[in-house]
Amino acid sequence: MSDLDLDFDPDELAMLRQLFRTEAQDALETVTTRVLAGGSAKPTHDALTEMMRVTHTLKGAAGTVGLNTMVDLSHRLESALAAFGREPSPWTPATADLLVEVTDALRGYLDVATEPAGEIAAVKIRDQIDQIARPNRRPMSLPPPFVEPPPEPVIEPTPDGAPIPETKAWLRVEPERIDELMSSAGELLFDRTRIERRVQLLRTLARDLARTRQNLHDALDTPNAPSRAALGEAESELAGQAALLSQTTAALLDEIEALRRTIGELQKSLTRIRMGPARDLMTHAARTLRALRRATGVHVELRTIGEDTEFDKAVAEQLVDPITQLLRNAVAHGVEPPAERAAKGKPATATVTIRARQDGNLLVLEVSDDGRGIDTAALRERLVSTGQWSATRAELANDGEILDALLGSGVSVRGDADELAGRGIGIGLVRQTVSKLGGEVKVSSSPGRGTTFSLRLPLSTALAQAMLFKVGGQVYAIPNVHVIDTTLVDATATTATVRHEQLPVLRLEALLGQGTATDRRAGVVVSFAGKSLVCTVDKIIGPREIIIKPLGPLLAPLTLYAGATISGSGKVQLILDPAQLVRRAYPDAPDAAIDDAGSAPMVLAGRALVIDDSRAIREAMTSMLGREGWIVDVAEDGARALQMTRQLRYDLIVTDLEMPELGGFDLIVHLRKDERFKTTPIVIITSRANPEHRRRARDLGVLALVAKPITRRKLLEALATR
Amino acid sequence: MAELRNVIVFTIGAVRYAVELRWVREVVSLGFVTAVPTAPPALGGVCNLHGTILPVLDVGAVLGGPPGPPARQGDGALVLETEGVICALRVDQVDHVASLHESGGAIVDAGGKPLTLLDPAVLVRLALELITTVGTAEPVP
Repeated sequence: MSDLDLDFDPDELAMLRQLFRTEAQDALETVTTRVLAGGSAKPTHDALTEMMRVTHTLKGAAGTVGLNTMVDLSHRLESALAAFGREPSPWTPATADLLVEVTDALRGYLDVATEPAGEIAAVKIRDQIDQIARPNRRPMSLPPPFVEPPPEPVIEPTPDGAPIPETKAWLRVEPERIDELMSSAGELLFDRTRIERRVQLLRTLARDLARTRQNLHDALDTPNAPSRAALGEAESELAGQAALLSQTTAALLDEIEALRRTIGELQKSLTRIRMGPARDLMTHAARTLRALRRATGVHVELRTIGEDTEFDKAVAEQLVDPITQLLRNAVAHGVEPPAERAAKGKPATATVTIRARQDGNLLVLEVSDDGRGIDTAALRERLVSTGQWSATRAELANDGEILDALLGSGVSVRGDADELAGRGIGIGLVRQTVSKLGGEVKVSSSPGRGTTFSLRLPLSTALAQAMLFKVGGQVYAIPNVHVIDTTLVDATATTATVRHEQLPVLRLEALLGQGTATDRRAGVVVSFAGKSLVCTVDKIIGPREIIIKPLGPLLAPLTLYAGATISGSGKVQLILDPAQLVRRAYPDAPDAAIDDAGSAPMVLAGRALVIDDSRAIREAMTSMLGREGWIVDVAEDGARALQMTRQLRYDLIVTDLEMPELGGFDLIVHLRKDERFKTTPIVIITSRANPEHRRRARDLGVLALVAKPITRRKLLEALATR
Repeated sequence: MAELRNVIVFTIGAVRYAVELRWVREVVSLGFVTAVPTAPPALGGVCNLHGTILPVLDVGAVLGGPPGPPARQGDGALVLETEGVICALRVDQVDHVASLHESGGAIVDAGGKPLTLLDPAVLVRLALELITTVGTAEPVP
């Protein structure tokens, strides 16, 4: 069976295989643990049974995701394990070690299963397993295939004086953090599929409701009084639809909750990937200060506190410049000359302290010096003499407010603020950078004792790439993932051709500003859910990295906006929601067409319950049945399934036979005792179908026994016998 | 029964209002006000307040009257917080803080002149209704 024979799209197959790999790692780990627990002795009967069960599950799951070599290998391993339970047992004292070797090799194989190297590995593992099963035979092994060692990397020595290429910033991340991310991303795919299916069910329901309404209308339209029978029929239809609606809503809410959890996990893993200790930033600061000391001759040393405080590496990178700036300021303007320090009784060597700490959701980074402090009286005078503040305001303001003016917290002061109090250039720059990162700067100072700048930043920031542009004098953004191009559009054109495609034009100047344009305008080509359009704008600013801020509950109903960001100068810029832009450009398209253009209209087949202890098989079955219009719930064993059937009716049960808690046959026996499940179609999926199984299945009224691996064709054939 | 209320008294246009101090988080002068196209006049725009997005409300329009002048940078504003919602009211002038007697919703200042006592929760609810009506309206093709 090649990948082409499988019933999954490539993304789905990749994710199912990823799931299978995780599952297989666990199963093999179980085997290893059981073997090791017994030392070199033969495992107990129970241990062997458990090992066989997990190996068996592995085989079934491997088949379903189309890894046929893995099916063969697990089959061989299962047979070998079975052989140990029989007399005479081929177990020897060396077997334990060999078994562990095999499971280790299998684990290694999983990573290369779909690559050419996998086949070579498989040959070797097959041999190893055979040897365990028949220890007295000489292995009929082929010589190990010769694999050419990779060539040694050759590093060209850099000739003296040649410019060293600029090094790119790399993010060092532990592999486990990436794995977490991968598994959350995979989870997301399944969450999406489940929600899509429910939505399809809702659509079918809406159609049914319309039909019922029509029936009701027809009944009421009859010249005489409507017949009780017709009304009764409509009533019972409505009752059924209402019940299904509330069930679906409940299920949808559950699935959205699951989605919320997955997204939460994803965000957490992402954050973990991006977090790093403050140490790197402080090491950098120490280097900067050493350079400053050499350049200025000022005696100053650095003290660092809280080097282990973790925060966003991307934020740390952006803080290098502001910290450098603050150190420069401290050395140039904060620290007094040695004579002055001596006169004040201060130690000759000044100290600059960088302190990092976490305060709730904030990272606080403080840069303090023990210098002369800021002269607030002089600053007050400067504010008045430069005309920025009225004399009364300056008089009323306390020192804190005066110091805030230094940072230009009101935009009007910015620019000149650096000059004020002779703090050198760049304080405005510090504020600007920190503000862009979603934080703020505070300054405190005590005359003769020193100055402290404290940078308060969010621990991690949701940085995103966005296209920025101007409309009606204001800057707006659209997430870059939805921007495919920029173009020029004629003044009155209602469509534009982009990449040989005729696209509708949405006049943002009409939507967001006043009036209409008279000249050719710049256009941003936006694409969302398979639909594209051109948005005309006044001026394209270009792609930028932005921090997305939520709009809050009051603005949430304004669906045109997906959020906002804050510019370097502290202005709020609105982010447009591409989905809404598409909706406005395609007013005739029903919502359905926007969310999934590819899916064919679907007829509801019913509600199915899939029970299997392999996650990969559960997901594969969900996908196959979903495509046939089934709404699928899943359970990992019979006990859980029994619980679920108590709450909901199912129109189809698909179950595995061998499961840890309650096996398939026991489950079916229980179900058949329940009035509601007396005649429900049940399909058994198994890789161990013997005549005894078939007889029991027939007695229990099972629709069909399908051999694993399951394919869509086999499943459809089984369902067709209903 | 008259009750003593700690209020802040302010003026918008010709009307004098009072709001209980416990809802007032800050009195600020507004930073750059970004207009929010498609929003009703009740929403005067949005501002950056310490890194969060602050909606600025036009009290007149929220209460169903004519909107006041557009909110601009440098205007005075009261930042209110109620039921998890933070918003600002643009004001022309903050008069004073006082302890005044309220009786059956009526409140008068020290000089005996009546003031309009605003309940921030009601204001937010009204604003939300106005914004929802506009925000979810079908776009005009």
